[in-house]
Amino acid sequence: MSGSLQNISELDRVIHEPARLTIVALLSSVASADFLFLLKESGLTKGNLSVHLSRLEEAGYVQVEKTFRGKIPHTEYRLTQKGKSAFDQYRKSLGSIFKK
Amino acid sequence: MNVQIDTAIKRARGYWFVDGFTEIAIGGLLIILAGFLLISMNISQAPFPSWFLSVTGEITIVKVVSFLIAIFILWWLKDHFTYPRTGFVRGKITVTQILVIIKNMILFLLLPIIGLLIASLLITSTGSVLSSLPVWFPVGLSLMWAILIVLAGEWMGLHRFRLLGVMILLAGIGVGIWQWAMGLPNIPANIQPKILQPPVLESVNRALTSLGLILLISGVSLMFSGILTFIRYRRENPQPYTEDV
Repeated sequence: MSGSLQNISELDRVIHEPARLTIVALLSSVASADFLFLLKESGLTKGNLSVHLSRLEEAGYVQVEKTFRGKIPHTEYRLTQKGKSAFDQYRKSLGSIFKK
Repeated sequence: MNVQIDTAIKRARGYWFVDGFTEIAIGGLLIILAGFLLISMNISQAPFPSWFLSVTGEITIVKVVSFLIAIFILWWLKDHFTYPRTGFVRGKITVTQILVIIKNMILFLLLPIIGLLIASLLITSTGSVLSSLPVWFPVGLSLMWAILIVLAGEWMGLHRFRLLGVMILLAGIGVGIWQWAMGLPNIPANIQPKILQPPVLESVNRALTSLGLILLISGVSLMFSGILTFIRYRRENPQPYTEDV
């Protein structure tokens, strides 16, 4: 297998999916965001967004925090250190594929 | 779903400006500062040094108080208007980002120093530097301000900031041309030992008037941009988000 093809096969499959990549990219530039922000900015449906967030949570890339804003329940999502590292690594891997 | 990754990252960074409130608040602060400066220049009877010292102190108090009030109003508006419509975001500032900001600020401060060094090669005496102060000060200030706004806009994907930068630069050039057309004070080449002589004071006063005008024009531009952004945001998000939407 050539170097470039090997690099492609080594891409993180969890992040490589376009919807999850968008969610991770959005979360990468903020400390945390709620479900509504991710819904509006990603353009995903509620169901889809929930599924992808669960998948990212299972992979340990996203941490869910349930809090209250006043009396209203509030759920915030943030990238974990593992998620940040995975996103950085993914960007580097993708860059190296196109350099070769 | 058709969201580009780079755009998504920039949009998240610029979320603080999504509703126009921040621009309106910054514009308002600049207008208050400009008004304070221009009015106090016109009504004060005190001689220049004591007036300048007192107005510097007062402006610092006005800045701090207005800033705190603006933060409180922004926080309330966003909590009651923006977050229920388009969601809540907690911004982050990492050590790396702080270092990048510091690096950029140093570069940003180096620009005028390099400009002054180049200018010193072209301008022969302290007298001519002070004499032309009402012209180069507004142009230089608006150039720095415009670069800062455009760079911030590029970082956050806010293309309207390009237009704002151009407007502020044009305003600075306009004020500079206006000052030049009024005629420059005649300051002798050797201004020592009494530096605070009437032509120098006139030059400094006119530079401060220019500063006030640039602050005023920048404030009005930011406020106008903020109001337009708010109108568009309100049209796109008329109601708080509900399950039915």
